[in-house]
Amino acid sequence: MRRISVLSAALALVAAGAAACSSSAGHSSSGTPGSAAFDPKTCQGGTLEVLNQGSISKLDPARIYTSGGGNIPSLLFRTLTTRNRQPGQDGAKAAPDLATDLGTPSDNAQTWTYHLKDNVFFEDGTPITSADVKYGIERSFAPELPGGAPYLRDWLVDAANYQGPYKDPAGIAAIETPDAKTIIFHLRKPEGDFPLLATATQFAPVPKAKDTGVGYEKHPVSSGPYMVASFDKGKTLDLVRNPHWSSASDPLRYACPDKINVTAGLDAAVINQRIATGTGQDANAVSTDTTIGPDQLAQLNSNPALAKRVARGEFPATTYIAFNPKVKPFDDIRVREAISYAVNRTTAVNAAGGTAVAGASTTFLPPQKALGYQPYDFFPAGATGDPAKAKELLAQAGYPNGLTITLTHQADDANNFGPKLATSVQDALKAAGITVNLNPIDDNSYTDVTGKPSTEPGASLQYWGADWPSGAPFLIPIFDGRQIVTSGGNFNLAQLNDPSVNAEIDAINAITDPAQAQARWGALDAKLGQQALTVPLFYEKDVYLFGKNVKDAVPDGWRGQYDLARVSVK
Amino acid sequence: MTTTIEAAGAAAGSGPPAPPSASATRTRGALWRRLRKDKAAATGMAIITVMVLVAVFAPVLTALEGQNTTSLHPELVDSASGGTPLGSLGGVSGSHWLGVEPQTGRDLFARLVYGARISLGVALGATALQVLIGVSVGIAAGLGGRGVDAVLSRLTDLALAFPQVLFAVALMAIVPDSVPRPLILAVVIALLGWGGTARLARGQALSLRTRDFVAAAKLSGAPPLRVARREILPGLVTPVLTYASLLVPTNMVAEAGLSFLGVGVRPPTPSWGQMLSAGTTWFRPDVMYVVVPGGALFLTLLAFTLLADGVRRTLDPRNTEVAP
Amino acid sequence: MTGYLIRRIVGAAVVLLALSAIVYGLFYAGPSDPALLACGKGCTPDRLAVVKSSMGLDKPLVDQYLSFLHAIFLGHDYSTGPSVQHCGAPCLGYSFETDQPVTTMLGAALPVSASLALGALALSLLLGIGAGLVTVLSRRRWLDRVLNTVILVGYATPVFLVALVLLIVFSADLQWLPFPTYVPLTQDPAAWAQNLLLPWIALALIAAAAYARMTRAQTLETLSEDHVRTARAYGLPERRVITRHVLRGALTPLVTMAAIDLANIMTSAVLTETMFGLPGIGHTLVSAVSSTDLPVIVGVTVTAGGVYVLANAVADILYAAIDPRVELA
Repeated sequence: MRRISVLSAALALVAAGAAACSSSAGHSSSGTPGSAAFDPKTCQGGTLEVLNQGSISKLDPARIYTSGGGNIPSLLFRTLTTRNRQPGQDGAKAAPDLATDLGTPSDNAQTWTYHLKDNVFFEDGTPITSADVKYGIERSFAPELPGGAPYLRDWLVDAANYQGPYKDPAGIAAIETPDAKTIIFHLRKPEGDFPLLATATQFAPVPKAKDTGVGYEKHPVSSGPYMVASFDKGKTLDLVRNPHWSSASDPLRYACPDKINVTAGLDAAVINQRIATGTGQDANAVSTDTTIGPDQLAQLNSNPALAKRVARGEFPATTYIAFNPKVKPFDDIRVREAISYAVNRTTAVNAAGGTAVAGASTTFLPPQKALGYQPYDFFPAGATGDPAKAKELLAQAGYPNGLTITLTHQADDANNFGPKLATSVQDALKAAGITVNLNPIDDNSYTDVTGKPSTEPGASLQYWGADWPSGAPFLIPIFDGRQIVTSGGNFNLAQLNDPSVNAEIDAINAITDPAQAQARWGALDAKLGQQALTVPLFYEKDVYLFGKNVKDAVPDGWRGQYDLARVSVK
Repeated sequence: MTTTIEAAGAAAGSGPPAPPSASATRTRGALWRRLRKDKAAATGMAIITVMVLVAVFAPVLTALEGQNTTSLHPELVDSASGGTPLGSLGGVSGSHWLGVEPQTGRDLFARLVYGARISLGVALGATALQVLIGVSVGIAAGLGGRGVDAVLSRLTDLALAFPQVLFAVALMAIVPDSVPRPLILAVVIALLGWGGTARLARGQALSLRTRDFVAAAKLSGAPPLRVARREILPGLVTPVLTYASLLVPTNMVAEAGLSFLGVGVRPPTPSWGQMLSAGTTWFRPDVMYVVVPGGALFLTLLAFTLLADGVRRTLDPRNTEVAP
Repeated sequence: MTGYLIRRIVGAAVVLLALSAIVYGLFYAGPSDPALLACGKGCTPDRLAVVKSSMGLDKPLVDQYLSFLHAIFLGHDYSTGPSVQHCGAPCLGYSFETDQPVTTMLGAALPVSASLALGALALSLLLGIGAGLVTVLSRRRWLDRVLNTVILVGYATPVFLVALVLLIVFSADLQWLPFPTYVPLTQDPAAWAQNLLLPWIALALIAAAAYARMTRAQTLETLSEDHVRTARAYGLPERRVITRHVLRGALTPLVTMAAIDLANIMTSAVLTETMFGLPGIGHTLVSAVSSTDLPVIVGVTVTAGGVYVLANAVADILYAAIDPRVELA
């Protein structure tokens, strides 16, 4: 998944939703302070303060790109299924939300049938029907409402050119609603992961009668435990309880606080400082997009009280160097291998904020079992790089006196692949005789430039996260030849179109046993790794502070963050 | 806060024209000696000289230390804590005289002296441009006819009407990355701040043009440009010099502020403003990262202010202030 | 006097017009594609076309500028695909990035900047004039020297440094004051003042230094003038001399300067607002810059320029009204 800039006005709520977690062995720690035991039945009360960096500019379910339903969006938008909201491996699964179960596959997983629960209502009391879910999905295709995950366009039969309900009121034929409680999806090919995709916010119901198009986000109709009390775009979002939500139909969300106030556009250092200090209302504060800063990290050893208020999780994501083999000299595998040997992952991790928030990675898949991770290191660079070996390879490739290349990167460090990381790569490659010229591109236009094959640079810094905890969404958009988009929005930067790889992907997609699929994804990742089409640098660790009064701030296994729907401030 | 300075200059220009003081006719040598005797001004000058030398000889100094501005030293920072420099005072040692930067481990002394180049360079460049534009416009307005004066005065009003910082931020945002940023910074700062100098120059030109020696020159048929150059310009030197010495610190703060906001020079080019901006996150784990560039900036600003005060004191005999 | 007034106002209007033209031209004829910038992130070719036509970017620059002016006086309707957003007068543009009229954003930001400016100005005038007068009029040399040094130091320090130190010391370490968040005056005056205290102090410390220096210079100048010597020669008590004869001449220029400074703080306290997270005009601009939201950038700069021009005109008129020595050129 494309990394959402925490400073980006456009997708900050997604950033809140984007940090899914599937914690690897022994990593997740319970962040509950040792006070009174937490009981979801008596946790009601109080106001939760959410302090965020990125501004809240999108509240329309059609436009929000989340993994597992997101954090703040999930308070307003229930979806067919949702993430299981448990720590550890259990969290990397889907669970029913509006649907009664994870769906019934038929036709070799090409058709998926869901039945909605009884007694689920919108905030105005009207019952939620399957037509509302269908309408919500159709809205997400409208060009007037750009954004969101791209999969449905590809997966649904004949939906690739659907222009949305405003231009095309006939709707999507591939989604059937035979009655108010049943919804059926017809897919082009078998997709065993469909229940995991159904956690995306596009699957949230939208009542057609209340749809005001672009203005809908001013007050989206809630299906979740909270509803919008006031929304000052870009700055504050105040939520109050949805009187028509009942916990009986929603066992996964505890909805403890009576009110939730989101303040956006704050400075990262200030956010961490306020949560750490915790005066007044800040004792009830959390953040969904600001990880711990160096000031607080430095205090953890000497301040045990603060150390208890740290939630550690992992969202599967990798930051890497992407090559465009159509651009010289990256067409030569020896050049790509040389760069793989030369990188210094210690300085790269430091550039991201140190070992607390990033881990050196030599594989494209991040170290999560659910994705099928298998360790490999075909170009052992050690902790600080192997310039000697790099030079040797360059000489073989015909560059005995070194080489000059250009590295494209984001112009600021909001997403951790900006100037700091670029400088680290530049410094490391210098030792190998490679002169790196840096080419910064504005964050807002970065994906426009790199995502278009005709303008794609030879080497660029990239980030990729898991739309759901499986090898499929991690590897397919990056390495599947049929996913190459020439007009823009391309993520297959290697422009790889290898029939054997494509066939293997199709074969794994048809497997229904997760363990088997994981093994095959891991093997595929290793096979691709040998071609050095990317140079993985580090994977992400999510470390967040939470306020003195906040309880049950336990990171879930999908997103790596604590869940606003389950924390308490009482 | 640029206005109170701006307004001081503007008030000087738009208020009653200052009578030419006797000091304008003193020799340069005598003024210089008086300036040197003034303790505050002398201190200011000394500090500025040191700063300028440091900036000019930055490569030599860093070679002496044996470091450079770009090499990363991950072994000198503690990765687990986010990159706090190891050792005391931010990693001060024999090979790193002022310690190292957090996260990257780059040598702080090297980055400081190269940052001096940017800070001083942009500030002095912007000031020079402001004086150039301002004096030209001001003299032309003061010596020209009513029409010329009216037009140029409105132009000056326009220049003064732009809220500097805001416009600078907005302008730097649309400048493409291919243009060398220190240069465009100096130009933008200059373009937004020449108004005060112009008003000053115009005021002086207006007051001087009625003087006998100017009338005499005109009567003798001297071309207007020569009149401007030989008769008016010398009278402008002292007020403009005083004003300019106050402009330098303002421009320096402007550059630091713009870099602080992220629209100045881009990383990894070192700049004091940028180091301060990065330093706000590191204030407690590594206070040196703020103290070093902050201290350098403060010292330089102080020096220019002392110098400006001294210049004013030396050149205006009516001023009976006691030196602090 | 009325002639001067009219001329000054007309002059201000002309300057304002020229300002808006320059700003508009600079940004909309600049190196980047304004439609792309206004469209924002997640811009599809469809949306781009909508933005382009509803902003009239396919028309020549002059026409665009004229409709921009037209919008300021009479409002404009922007089509955003299926719906139409009406932007009432004065319409300074429409931000597609955040889906709201620029005027609304400014309307929310203006009270914040105004609160900041008024408090800071009042505090700085109080401190500055007081300190300046003390250095001139007190008999104690040591007080004079100490204050002068303090003033010098305050003058030479950049505002973000002061803000940073204040924040860390008073909010984080001593915890005397909460981290500033903006609370509207109408909602809770006590909280409003408490939260703005640190930003006020940060700005006031530096502005006060400038005012102190100016007060000192002006007072010294006035003290040496003829009418003061005459008053003294008449045997008037020193106190009377100071309050009736010296202060008026010394402080008048300061008061007019205060009008400009008010406008300046309101429009240029970008650094302070950013450091303290106050959602004022400067902060709005900085966010617009980081997302390159062109309509907001243009709207804010034109408004800021307008406020500035107005303040300058007011200051000039005040100065002319109060000081009879000024020639009404």
